[in-house]
Amino acid sequence: MSEGSFLRVRAIAKKEVVEFTRDWRTIIAIIVIPLLMFPLLFILFPVLLQSEAAELDALELSIVIQTDGLPENLAENISLSSINYTIELLPNLTSLSEPGKDIERVRNSSTDAVLRFESNDDVWGYAILHLSTSERSTEARYRLLTTLSEWEDSEVRERIELGGLDVNTTLDPLRWDGEISAGDVATSGEQSGMILSLFIPLVLAIWTYSSAIQPSIDMTAGERERGTLEALLCLPCTRMELLMGKWLAVATITGVGVLLQIFGLLFAIGYLASSSFIGVPQLSMVSIGLIVLSIMLFAIMVVAFELALAMRSHSVKEAGSILAPALMLILFPALFTQVINLDGIEGFWFAIPVVNILLALRELLMNRVITEHVLIWAFSSVVYASLAAYYASRQFNREDIVTSLS
Amino acid sequence: MPKSLLSIQGVTKNFAEVKALHEINLEIYSGQIVGLVGSNGAGKTTLLRLMAGVYKPSNGTVNLSNGESVTTMRHELGVVPESTGLYSRLTAWENIRYHSRMHGIPDSISWARTEKFAEHLDMKDSLSRHTKGFSRGMKQKTALLRALAHGPNILLLDEPTAGLDITSARTVRALVRQLRDEGGTVIYSTHQLAEAQQVCDRIVIIHNGEIRADGSPSKLLEDTGTVSLEEAYVSLTQDQARTREEDNDKESAFSGWWRRLFTPRTPKTTREVMESE
Repeated sequence: MSEGSFLRVRAIAKKEVVEFTRDWRTIIAIIVIPLLMFPLLFILFPVLLQSEAAELDALELSIVIQTDGLPENLAENISLSSINYTIELLPNLTSLSEPGKDIERVRNSSTDAVLRFESNDDVWGYAILHLSTSERSTEARYRLLTTLSEWEDSEVRERIELGGLDVNTTLDPLRWDGEISAGDVATSGEQSGMILSLFIPLVLAIWTYSSAIQPSIDMTAGERERGTLEALLCLPCTRMELLMGKWLAVATITGVGVLLQIFGLLFAIGYLASSSFIGVPQLSMVSIGLIVLSIMLFAIMVVAFELALAMRSHSVKEAGSILAPALMLILFPALFTQVINLDGIEGFWFAIPVVNILLALRELLMNRVITEHVLIWAFSSVVYASLAAYYASRQFNREDIVTSLS
Repeated sequence: MPKSLLSIQGVTKNFAEVKALHEINLEIYSGQIVGLVGSNGAGKTTLLRLMAGVYKPSNGTVNLSNGESVTTMRHELGVVPESTGLYSRLTAWENIRYHSRMHGIPDSISWARTEKFAEHLDMKDSLSRHTKGFSRGMKQKTALLRALAHGPNILLLDEPTAGLDITSARTVRALVRQLRDEGGTVIYSTHQLAEAQQVCDRIVIIHNGEIRADGSPSKLLEDTGTVSLEEAYVSLTQDQARTREEDNDKESAFSGWWRRLFTPRTPKTTREVMESE
């Protein structure tokens, strides 16, 4: 590339970025949302869950207990769970789980649940009728199950003692010796890489595509619709320079968006959720270099593809209606890639478009550099990126892109 | 005889089956204002785009005097398309500077030229404003400044006074004449005969993609034996004007079928109109 050509590409890219970022909506879309999305999700969601849980805990529930004799200590425990109950006789049913006539009062919420409790010599039988679509009823069921489980536990211990056995050795004859986590020979860095590999490639793929949609459309179909493209095509720059300048601008905007989102995600997980939950992945310089290469190849392909589709479109509306559903081409392979087992994976997976880069990222984040895989994904990605760039250049060379408002 | 700057030889331009321009031969000489006059869809814009190197001819050549194709010598040209093509989120000066940089002109030089012409167009105070709030006239003037900032030899103007108020149109025309007086060459597309007569040294009448006449206003009157340019134009373009076929989007068979499926048939009788309600 000559110096003049480089300067023109830089001028195009700079102008596009400046113009794009002067729209406040763009700043929100490429900076504020990516940066705050995950932290807000990780802060607000637990707060919301906690407040809902506290609200449920404070509820005084009322239930009906149908029994032929309820043990005193169990009745006491149920009362301690903020449950008010009325005792009734057991109805005549083939099984305790059969709703019978009680179905109506559970469904119309006149009682939160019905506990049926029957003694059978040494064994007790029970069933709980509840309405799974009601939070009160589900909470009543949960409290009853917890109380019954605790009561059962104490009953078991009592019976073991009565039989003259040691409770601990009888209930827990097989024990892990020492720290369970010490048995994992993977380093904390490798473990972090493993966790990161589950969502970083997914976020990267989806966000790269989706954040490139708006600038791609604005810089192609948008220019065409606003009538600015014709003046641009009269300038002494080649269509290839135009494509490269615009590609650089979209890639910069997208890159900033993706980096901010990943930063927000790591901050949310590593700092807000639990500082011990995830650490810094242990990566070699080769892995880091290959990660950068894979992201670059992916970005070249995706951005060129989007620019080409947007340039093909006659209007912003048409471009939007093509690019938005085309996200499926990224989303499905991205989701599919998450469930592929990397141990002993066949080489051909690394030649499938989109899948190849996502698998490569998963491997590299776990610091696995397998030469055969690297060669396959690098070569295939170069081919796909070149094809996308060639397709984009063909679209930019079309004569009918010069339809002005006139 | 003035020097030839731009030579159009045997140019034909087709858009699919539509012949937008047919066998165009035209020499553009330095120091002239050449008016391209024609109705909507005549082929003026197509010819200007060919001169600007935006379109490639289907046949023939569009070369500068040194024999180079215009696509390789675009810095010789300053173009103002009809839509002006200004970026609304940039200031007027940023718009001008962007194009100048693409021409490889240092900012200081383009600023000096811009300042000179902005004074003439009464635009100096508006150079730092975003073009979003500009009137049509201000946009047109900014586009003109942008086209002049790199010092082109030939200026291509596509309907430069369309939609302008009287004062703005006069200012633009005055600047065009000033440029000619300073030795510049201007190709001026318009469909207003009065304007062409007022501004241009030479008028090229285009109709249905063909050149019907080429000469000074007085020569056109003489050749057609008429007393006004309007009469001369009518006598030269008596066949019906076509539509702008080149702007019609090509549509695939599936797209056409799909569109027709959801387009109700246009009623032809009063009864059908009432029934459709």
